[in-house]
Amino acid sequence: MRVLLRSAEGEGFVPPSTKDFELPPIFGDNVYTTKPILLVFLSVILISVFFILSARKAAIVPSKFQFAGESVYSFVRENLAKEVIGHEFMRFVPYLFTLFTFILVNNLFGIIPLIQFPTMSHVSFPYVLALSTYLVFHYVGIRKQGAFKYFKEILFMPGVPKAAYILITPLEILTFFVVRPLTLSLRLFANMFAGHLLLLVFILGGEHLLQGVIGLKLISPFAFAIGIVLTFFEFMVQCLQAYIFTLLAALYIAGALADEH
Amino acid sequence: MANRDENAMWSIFGYLLSGLIFWGGIGYGLDKWLDKGIFTLIGLLVGISGAIYLVWLRFGRE
Repeated sequence: MRVLLRSAEGEGFVPPSTKDFELPPIFGDNVYTTKPILLVFLSVILISVFFILSARKAAIVPSKFQFAGESVYSFVRENLAKEVIGHEFMRFVPYLFTLFTFILVNNLFGIIPLIQFPTMSHVSFPYVLALSTYLVFHYVGIRKQGAFKYFKEILFMPGVPKAAYILITPLEILTFFVVRPLTLSLRLFANMFAGHLLLLVFILGGEHLLQGVIGLKLISPFAFAIGIVLTFFEFMVQCLQAYIFTLLAALYIAGALADEH
Repeated sequence: MANRDENAMWSIFGYLLSGLIFWGGIGYGLDKWLDKGIFTLIGLLVGISGAIYLVWLRFGRE
C-alpha cells in the first residue's frame, strides 16, 4: 500500500525500515488494539480451539486431527521435556508445551498470507516470555534446593581456589541473572525482526521494480522468486526459533533442578 | 548430546559477554574517575580471562 502510493507520486524506492513495525491502532485511537496485540489474542484462540477439538473426540484409533494434535504434544513431551529434564519432567510439560505452541503460532503469523506479521518481532513479547521462564527456573531451583544452597551453588562453584571467586563470582551473577534472560528474548526477537525485514525488502522491492521501465519489469520476477524462497527459509527459522526457545527454557529448568551445577 | 552442545554454546557465549561487560565496565569507570585511558583495556582482558577460566571450570575439567 505504502509503496503503491509512493510510486504513483513518482518518488524513488524507500527501503523498509523499523517504521514498518510501528503499526497504527485498528479501532480508533485505542493503543491496545494494534495488530500484534490482536494477533496474540488470535493465536490464543487458534491454539485453544485446535487442541480442544483434537482432544475432544479422543479415540484409540486417532483421526487425522487428533493425530496432528498428539504429534505436537508428544514432540514437546518426549524430545524436549523428557530428554532434557529427566525423571521429574512431567511437571513442566504444560509450561513447555504452552511456550512452544504459543511461540510457534505467533512466529508462523509472519508468513501466513493476509496476516504476515510475526508478533515476536515486537521485543516486548519475547521479554515477557523470557521473564516468566526466568521466574519459573529460579523458583524451581529455590524450591528444590532451598534458597541458600541454590544461590551458593550458582555463586561459588565448588573446587575453585578462594581468590578466584573475586574474578568469577561477578560473572556468574551477571550470566545467571542478566545475560541469560536477555539472550533468550533477544535471539527470538532479532530473528523474527530480521526475517520480516528481509521479506519486505524482496517483495516490496519486486513490486517497485514492476512499476519501473520495461528493463526493470523484467528483473522483478527474480525479486519475487527470491522472496518466495526466503519465505520457505523463514518458515524453517520460525520453527527453529520456537524450538530453541523451548529447549533453552527446559535446559535452564534442568540446570536449576540438578544438584551440582 | 546435541542438547548438551547447544547448552554449552550459549553458556559460553553468556560467560564471555558477562566477562567483557562486567570487568570492562569497571575498567571504564576507573578510567572516567581517574582520567586515565588504560583501565578499560585491562578490564576487558581481565574479564575475558575470567570468562575463559570459568568456561574451563564448567566444561573443561571433566
